[in-house]
Amino acid sequence: MEHRTMSRRRFLGASLGGAGVTLLGLAGCGAPSGSASAGSDHLSLWYWKGALSDKLLATAERGVPGVAGLKVRGSQIPDGDIDSKVRTSLAARAYVPDITVANSDNLATFFPDEDEFLDLRSLGAESVRERYLDWKWKSCFTPSGRMIGFPLDAGPTALYYRRDLFQEAGLAHEPRDVAEEIPSWERFIAAGRTLRAKGPGKPYLVSNIGNVFQQVLLQSPRQFVDEDNRFIGDQRHVRRAWDLSVELLRQRLSAGITDGTPDFNAAMSRGRVATMTTAVWAINGLKDSAPRTSGRWRLTTMPDGPANYGGSYVTLTRYCRDPEAAFAFLTWLLSPANQLESYQEMALFPTTPAAYADPAMHRPDPFFGGQQPIDVFGPAAQKAPVNYFSPYEETANTPFFQELTNVEMLGKDPDRAWRDAVNTAETTLSRVGVS
Amino acid sequence: MATVLDPPTEERIPVRRKRSTTPGGRRRHIPPLLAISPFYVLFAVFGTFPVVYSLYLSFQDWDGIGSMRFVGLQQYGWLLRDPVFWHSVLNTFEIWFLSTVPMLFLALVLAFLLHSQVRFTGALRVAYFIPNVTSMVAMTVVFGSVFAQAGLANAVLRAVGLDGIGWLSSEWGIKSSVSLMIIWRWVGYNALIFLAGLQAIPTEHFEAARVDGANSWQTLFRVVLPQLRPVVLFAAVTSTINGLQIFTESQVLFQSTDVGTTGGPGQEGMTIVLYLWQKAFKEHQFGYGAAMGWLLFAIIAIFTIINWRLVSGSDRDDDRHGRPGLAGMLRRKGARNGR
Repeated sequence: MEHRTMSRRRFLGASLGGAGVTLLGLAGCGAPSGSASAGSDHLSLWYWKGALSDKLLATAERGVPGVAGLKVRGSQIPDGDIDSKVRTSLAARAYVPDITVANSDNLATFFPDEDEFLDLRSLGAESVRERYLDWKWKSCFTPSGRMIGFPLDAGPTALYYRRDLFQEAGLAHEPRDVAEEIPSWERFIAAGRTLRAKGPGKPYLVSNIGNVFQQVLLQSPRQFVDEDNRFIGDQRHVRRAWDLSVELLRQRLSAGITDGTPDFNAAMSRGRVATMTTAVWAINGLKDSAPRTSGRWRLTTMPDGPANYGGSYVTLTRYCRDPEAAFAFLTWLLSPANQLESYQEMALFPTTPAAYADPAMHRPDPFFGGQQPIDVFGPAAQKAPVNYFSPYEETANTPFFQELTNVEMLGKDPDRAWRDAVNTAETTLSRVGVS
Repeated sequence: MATVLDPPTEERIPVRRKRSTTPGGRRRHIPPLLAISPFYVLFAVFGTFPVVYSLYLSFQDWDGIGSMRFVGLQQYGWLLRDPVFWHSVLNTFEIWFLSTVPMLFLALVLAFLLHSQVRFTGALRVAYFIPNVTSMVAMTVVFGSVFAQAGLANAVLRAVGLDGIGWLSSEWGIKSSVSLMIIWRWVGYNALIFLAGLQAIPTEHFEAARVDGANSWQTLFRVVLPQLRPVVLFAAVTSTINGLQIFTESQVLFQSTDVGTTGGPGQEGMTIVLYLWQKAFKEHQFGYGAAMGWLLFAIIAIFTIINWRLVSGSDRDDDRHGRPGLAGMLRRKGARNGR
């Protein structure tokens, strides 16, 4: 009997403890500091796998070189969760990381809540400005002029093409010649017609038309919503991207395959698609999906010139326990020397042009027949235009990408699709205060 | 909590009134309430509060971080005029119908076969239940290959001399793919529910059927089905509640794609919950998402009421047969789901 009472008591104790822990956890939400690292000897950093160099983070956890007594501990958050986790912690004003990584789409979504992040100019960011690409630096600012992001990596774009298919179709096929022969999207489409007529196995020019739409847009400084929160997606710069994409379809130059699917991998391996219009970070994906085509690909300048596609930022939240130290950590982590290391370790393309000259970046890549990718991506990174991304970019462009998919996959009439896209975008945007 | 629970006790058993008003009597209730406190504390924090808060949110305009702005019924007004929302409602019902009807039928047949199978029953039950506990995200990678243009599904179609289908690029292809994934995931679960119902049927009924010369199909439809009615209704009700909340299949199946293909070409795979997720968590329109959640609640509630009427009809039957009714099973299921 005695034994049973004891165990029951212990059970009650355990359940009380459980409830107590829950309540304590709730009480913790009201912690005055709000930082996830409160009460510890390190600053907290949230990132997703592959966003930062593991080696440099391991060093920072032991102590950031050059900053006495500073330790930064990184926590890996799954790629798809980090945005909602950061938002949740900011809304709760508790367990907010001192430092967090934001990707290119996400930085702008924080503009309406820019006060949640520290203005890096107040920490002396201007003193290191010269190290970084000009367009990347400018993209760190909110429309009101607050610098909430710090340049992490860049995504310069290039035209990836199959040299062998171009050659057999009788087209110019060395990178320099291709750049000369295909200076514009119109010439790109013309080359596609030749490929389709004379290339081995009548290869398609592109996997799907959405990629070209995306690239033409990124070459424009203006996107879908301007700095004054006005919808500009019905204007000529978007319409031109739309028409070029539809033209690709009309000429039957698109394979109609969604990137990243098994069909895409199959088409790439079998040489069904002759080009890719994308950023530097697509190299590893291509190597994985089409290893058999190694040596046949080349890189050259994108038709109508390079742009930037993707690339991330590091931000300091307003709950950061030690802004000066955190900023010192950023300038160390993202210095030209360390960006070079991150490139070698993680293929993160540096935002510090000084690194491009380093011999370590000039390694011939056998996948591209010994071509040095930096010869194309380096100049591209320096020539990319400054784009303005609004917080409502995704809300605004989703209907356009959706309708373009409908045109390509379901054969919807392009003009009707355009009207539907504009209407849907206008209606959805009106709900978030964009007119 | 104790005070809330006291009144019914007092009404029913007047003898106890005296005791429970004394301090000692009142204290008597504390240990058991504390013992079950992990449930209701956690439920209040992670169940009740979010539900109530989402109702509050649906009258606000909020991006998840900044200050909220009261907008009254505006979110609901917008939602009722949003063609994508109504498209997602239609999609959800189409996918629900395409998946639930064949799934329940298959589950019934499977249960019947499992019931008559003598060897390896345990292993087979486990095998059929495994899809239900497999990570859907991992499985979608497999299904992505199956439904690819050059995938297994089209290979099978071509092998029997048919043309390949754009499983992930045509209206009914998308709906069929999503439905097939739902069937694959839930058929085993429902087969086990049916099996439990089958085992409650007295063996004399089967023996009588056999003596009367009924074959397997006749036994299934004439003997088993009528007696299984409450169980079938239970499965139908829970499948409806689950089916109207389809999300993972559509989300992951089209996730590998870039922006703008949420729900696939023509948004044919866009379900209500997927649209809610897109608006609230991708575009940060939490008020809109909350309003959508409550409209979904209304839709499910209407269906549950319809089901409830069917249920109360079958309850009287059950009382006659002295077997637990659907209402009882539903109550248990509800408690388990915490919904």
